[in-house]
Amino acid sequence: MRVDPSYTSNLVSALDQSQLNEQQLTAELSSGVSITSLSQNPVASGENVLLLNQIQQDDSFTQSSSMVTSQLQVSDSTLGSVVSQLTQAISLATSANNGTMNASDVKSIGNQISGILDEVQSLANTNYEGQYIFAGGQTSTIPFTTSTVTSPATTTYNGDDDLNYLQAPNGQKIQLNVPGSQIFSAAGTNSVFGALNSLVADYSSGTVNTTQAVTDTEALGTALNFVSQQRVVVDNSITQLSAASDAITSQQTQLTTAQTNLMQADVATVSTQLSLSETQQTALEDVIAQLDSQSNSLFSKLQ
Amino acid sequence: MGTISSAFDMISGALNADQSALSIVANNVANANTPGYTMETPNWRENDPIQINGVQYGDGVTETGATSMRDSVLSARLDQQQQLASASNARLTALDGVQALFTPDSGSSSSTAGDIGNDLTGFFSSFSSLEAQPTNNSLREEVLTSATTLAGNISNAAASLNTQRSALDQEASGVISQVNGLTSSIAQLNQQIQSTSPNADAGTLEDQRQLDLSQLSQLIGINQVKTENNGLSVTTTSGQLLVSESSSFQLTSGSVSGVTHFYVGTTDITSQLTSGGGELGGYLTARDQDIPGALSSLDQLAYGVSTSVNQLNNTGADMNGNSGTSGAPLYIFNEPTQVAGSALAMDVTMTDPSLVAAAGAGMGTGDNSNAVAMAKLGNESLMQPIATTAFGLSQNLSASSPSATSSFEVYDSLGNSHPATVTYTNQGSNTWGYSISVPDALTANSSVPGSVSYSFGAGETVNPGTNLTISGNTAGGGIATISALTVTGGEVVGTAGPPATGYVAALDAQITAAGITGVTVSNTGGALTISGATGTAGSVIADPAESANATGTLSFNASGALVSPAVNVSGITFTGLSDGAAPLNLNWNLYSANGAGTIKQTAAPSLQSGESQNGSAGASSGPTPTGYFSNFVSTLGATVSGVQAENTAQNASVTQLQTQNNALSQVNLNDEAAALSTLESSYQAASKVFTVLSTVMESALNLGTETAFS
Repeated sequence: MRVDPSYTSNLVSALDQSQLNEQQLTAELSSGVSITSLSQNPVASGENVLLLNQIQQDDSFTQSSSMVTSQLQVSDSTLGSVVSQLTQAISLATSANNGTMNASDVKSIGNQISGILDEVQSLANTNYEGQYIFAGGQTSTIPFTTSTVTSPATTTYNGDDDLNYLQAPNGQKIQLNVPGSQIFSAAGTNSVFGALNSLVADYSSGTVNTTQAVTDTEALGTALNFVSQQRVVVDNSITQLSAASDAITSQQTQLTTAQTNLMQADVATVSTQLSLSETQQTALEDVIAQLDSQSNSLFSKLQ
Repeated sequence: MGTISSAFDMISGALNADQSALSIVANNVANANTPGYTMETPNWRENDPIQINGVQYGDGVTETGATSMRDSVLSARLDQQQQLASASNARLTALDGVQALFTPDSGSSSSTAGDIGNDLTGFFSSFSSLEAQPTNNSLREEVLTSATTLAGNISNAAASLNTQRSALDQEASGVISQVNGLTSSIAQLNQQIQSTSPNADAGTLEDQRQLDLSQLSQLIGINQVKTENNGLSVTTTSGQLLVSESSSFQLTSGSVSGVTHFYVGTTDITSQLTSGGGELGGYLTARDQDIPGALSSLDQLAYGVSTSVNQLNNTGADMNGNSGTSGAPLYIFNEPTQVAGSALAMDVTMTDPSLVAAAGAGMGTGDNSNAVAMAKLGNESLMQPIATTAFGLSQNLSASSPSATSSFEVYDSLGNSHPATVTYTNQGSNTWGYSISVPDALTANSSVPGSVSYSFGAGETVNPGTNLTISGNTAGGGIATISALTVTGGEVVGTAGPPATGYVAALDAQITAAGITGVTVSNTGGALTISGATGTAGSVIADPAESANATGTLSFNASGALVSPAVNVSGITFTGLSDGAAPLNLNWNLYSANGAGTIKQTAAPSLQSGESQNGSAGASSGPTPTGYFSNFVSTLGATVSGVQAENTAQNASVTQLQTQNNALSQVNLNDEAAALSTLESSYQAASKVFTVLSTVMESALNLGTETAFS
């Protein structure tokens, strides 16, 4: 049977292939990445794009979440202050309504409630990083202004009823704000400023119309309860954000693990493959050297 | 009875034969490393016996020359396999360049430059961040920065793909001079072989021809057909004749829309060569299929992202509370007009971060609803253009009017809109004729072979760039084709001069720049005429014909309700609307819900009160932007991987066939040494026989006296 006389060149091709293989394995070991081109694993390359997308979305949500949590905490603490101011106003009003105070004391209470009104208005106009937090979507407009032309004075809401939401990667929508109209100037007896302005008017002359003052005090109590309810909405958002953020962080960890498993080189496997490849290369080199040292044809035997 | 003399003849013949055979062995050893050399073996022939007095005697041996150890079937198979391997090899090299543009992100760094997948996520995430603080200027700037990164990387990838395509085009056009050299050489060798060795193997000449064929097989896909007298015809794999015995047909090249096409005579064989194999086949497959495919995917992505983001930003409210208007749209990206080219052209036009519309229209600046919607785009289907397939019109036709028109927009498969018109003509007796037209951007007044003319009527919008192509011969013997320049609004037709002016001058300059000769542009009475050199091969001026207008009749009853046609009008087709757009197939919904029977004949004045259609510049369908990119990289990776596997298998097959061929045809030094040894022995034996014969002859001449004569 005839054979290919140039079989040595095939051995050299095998040697080249073996060296290429070693080069690739060494690159995998040094970079720690198993997939350095799309064709090495097309499916994993596509999957990698999706995983990185999810990881980055999660990361972005976590950052946004911490940003809005600060804002919600400011809202919550502001509403906490409002509640304590209103509690104090109710207590003052209740003492003024019991009929034991003289005109001067009543006026003094009226002044104190007026001070509380100013403080509550200032709290309602709280801004966070330059944006009014109780103005709905009109965050660049001061939400509450009071006109003393009328008696009782009138506090006007200049914002709107817009609600903002933060959308989590899983689609969950978390409320980010409570408009001032819902907290401070809600319809009916829920209006904080309506009740406070009425009480200031009630005590301004020093003479108390007890029936009216009691009604207004009760209205303030109702408004306080309403503020507390709205504060719960804010607290709920903080809780939801925290829970969502935890869930997303945990998901991100899982996704990162999956992505690492997908893309990172398995050092043990790659090292074994490299070792095998090196052995193969040495063997090939030996064979070629052996063939080289021997005569390649019968010509060397001819006398 | 044999004689000593005849023995002398026989043995001297044997010595000659041995010498010839030794010279063949020497030639084999000398050419052991010559590429294309086929090992030769001596042909031994026993001389015809002679008959003397009824007794047959052998008459020695003759060496009749050398036979090349060749298996033409095996060589042809090797060539064929080589064509496939060369094609996949060239294609793989090109694809490696393409996939290097989209190296997978390892994830160790989430901001790897140049990763479009990360850019997409980063861009849409910038809106998620903006949700938290819609008025925050640095977050708004982040939107524009990430948009710039995304647009830059998509545009760069498209530019790199275009560069790779140009490089492949140059490599491909460089191949033809080698092909032409080889086909000329084969034709010449055919002639020599046919004249010197019409009935037998032509040895060295055949070796040279086989070497040329092997080299040609590496360059292009070919078929070989043996012809009479040991000739050979070579065709491309799809049958285009390249060599017919002693004639060769040269490949020429010409530029068509900036891409090199290949011709034999006037026949464009580019697509044949693409599928044929060889290095050229590989280059052309990558140039005309793989890279355009990748570019098209990027175009779809760029188009989808740009149009959907622009559309939403335009309808939201910016920091000044403004929404976009037709005069001042709030576009973040430059708005693509069609899918093709969107990736390369992708860019961020917005420079002022306050123009990012985070708020919904009419909402306060603190609203984030539009930012939420834009962030959601990252998880919604990518916007893609869809063509109009149906339209409905609400129209009354005044019985007292002679005619009326309805107008509406239709969209082709590339998302380009075209104004369409239905013209109604009152034919009396409650019957109206209708004619639907979608004007071609350029209407030929007359078109005869080699010449076409167009009228530029007053106020008519003309756009020869959409579909007018001009091909003509170049001075170098090739063929060049150009897409005619687009006429800009208000541009004058101009004259051929001298000096040439207006559009005539511009088009003429474009034709000259392409090297086309014999094609003239002129303006006669307002009609632009482009004339080719008549009778010259390859001179073609073509404008894809627009479909004829769709016409028909509408009949109404006495109360003005439509009675005929009884069903919706279907099968209205328009072609040639934009470059690369599929034909537009339309249905006119007369009876469906969206335009049901709303065409009426009334006594009131004719009036179009509404229209409906189901096509649009864009519609969401399919995967999300990231999903789309993920599919793209998977598909690209799978293509490269497939070609790699194919290439490995083909190379293995080539090696196997090469081994078989080498075993048969390559000089084996062991064999030669053995032959040398055998021939040496044989020569020594023959010499010995000669010496003995000489002694015998000497004895005979001296009649037994040993020393008298020597």
